[in-house]
Amino acid sequence: MKNKIKRVISPRRILVIVVCLCAALTALSYLSDRLVTPLREAVSQVIIPLQRGMNGIGIGAVEHEEKLRTIDELTAKNEELSKRISELEDENKLLREDTKDLADLRSLYETDQLYASYEKTGATVIGASSQNWNSSLTLDKGSADGIAVDMNVIADDGLVGIISEVHNNYSIVTTVIGDNSYVSAMDEKTQDVCSVRGDLTLMDTGYIHVERFKENAEISDGDRIITSNISAKYLPGILVGYAHDVTPDGNALTKSGKVEPAVDFEHLQKVLIIKQLKADMTAD
Amino acid sequence: MKRKLTEIGLIILFYLLQVTLGRNIRIGGIMPNFLIILPILFGFYNNRQEGIFTGFFAGLLYDLFFPGLLGFSSLIFVLLGYISGVLGDIFEQHSIVVLIAITAAGTFSYEFLIYIGNFLLHNRIFVPFYITRIILPETVYTVLIMIALYKPLQLLNRLVESKKVKREKELNETIS
Repeated sequence: MKNKIKRVISPRRILVIVVCLCAALTALSYLSDRLVTPLREAVSQVIIPLQRGMNGIGIGAVEHEEKLRTIDELTAKNEELSKRISELEDENKLLREDTKDLADLRSLYETDQLYASYEKTGATVIGASSQNWNSSLTLDKGSADGIAVDMNVIADDGLVGIISEVHNNYSIVTTVIGDNSYVSAMDEKTQDVCSVRGDLTLMDTGYIHVERFKENAEISDGDRIITSNISAKYLPGILVGYAHDVTPDGNALTKSGKVEPAVDFEHLQKVLIIKQLKADMTAD
Repeated sequence: MKRKLTEIGLIILFYLLQVTLGRNIRIGGIMPNFLIILPILFGFYNNRQEGIFTGFFAGLLYDLFFPGLLGFSSLIFVLLGYISGVLGDIFEQHSIVVLIAITAAGTFSYEFLIYIGNFLLHNRIFVPFYITRIILPETVYTVLIMIALYKPLQLLNRLVESKKVKREKELNETIS
C-alpha cells in the first residue's frame, strides 16, 4: 500500500503540484490581501517575539564589543577631537549670528518644532527587509499600540519614513532612502517646494535625490530640506536632510540635486512614531 | 517527522538570522541570502521531496513579512530544491563544487527575477549597475555563507536521518 502511494506521488508530480500552488498563491496575493493578512498575523505571533529576543541579543553583543574597544583608539580619537573642538568653536561664533536670524525667520514661518507638540511613541527597530532591494524596517509596535498606516516615523530629529503596513504586534516602515519613496518637501529658508526621491543607485554616495525645484529657486549647499505643508501624508516641518549640489536641469525649467538624509540609517535602533496623521489634520 | 521539524526549526532560525543579523553583517550595504541555502543543501543531501518541502516553507516565510507577492520566492526556492535534489542523485555528497555552482546560479537567477519584476519594469533600466552592485555581491556573499555552513548542516542532517534511511545507507556502504 505504502509503496503504491509512493509510486503515485513521484517527486516530479509533487513538484508540479507545489509549483502550481505557489503560482496560485502569487496570483491571489497580487489580486487581494485577504489571504495574506490572516496568514501573516498567525505566523507573526510566533516570529515577532523570537525576532524581538534575537534582536535583544544582538544589541547586547554590540554594546559589549563597543566596551572592549582599545584605549589607544580612544586616546587617538580624543586628540583628534580636541583639535576639532577649537576649529568648531571658531565656526560656532559665526554660526551663532546666523542662528539668530534663523530663529527670527522660523518664528515667522512657525515651522519651528511644529511637530514637538504631537503625541509620539517610541519604538525599536527589530528587523530589516529580508532583501537587498528595498530598505524597509520592522518596528516592534503594531495596531495593538495604536499605530496606523501613514504615521510618520522620525529619529534624531529627522524623517525616517512612513508606516506602510501595520499588523497586530509589528509594523513596517518604508524609509525615505528606499527606491520607491517620494516625499513632498521644501527648502526651509526659501520655502521653495520640491520632492525628495530615494534611489538604490545612490546607495554608495549616502545621498538621495531632490527634484522639481523651480528654476528660480536659490538653494545653497547645506540648506535644510523639510517636509512641506502641501504633502498629503507627511506632517509639515520635519527635517528630511541637507541640500547638496542643486543645479539647473537640462530643461531649464527645474532644478535638482541631492539631499544628505538627517538620519543615520545604518545604525538606526530607536525611532519615534508620531501618532498624529496628516489626513486628520486637514479634516479638522 | 523529526527531520521535518528540524527543517522547520532551521528555516525559522535562518529567517531570524536574515532579518536581524543580516543587517549587521552587511558588506557594502549588501547582505547574504540565508534562506536560499536551505532548500539547496537539503535537496542535495537528501532527495527531491526534501528540497521541495524546505523550499516551499523557506520561500513562504521569506515573502510573508515584506510587501510583495506571496509565493514568488516559494516558487523559485521549490524549483531550486528540486534541481538540487536531482544533482544530489548524480553527484557525490561531498562535492562542494556542485553546491557552489548551484548556489551561485540559484541566487543570481532569483535576484535577477526580482530585479526584473520590481525595477526593470519600473523603468530602472541601468542593468549593469544593479548586476555589479547588488546581484553579484549578494551571490558571492551567499556562496561564502553556504561554504561556511554546509559542513555543520551536513552533520546535522545525518543526525536527524530516519532509521530506515540509515540502514539503507549502511547496507549500500557494505555492498560497495
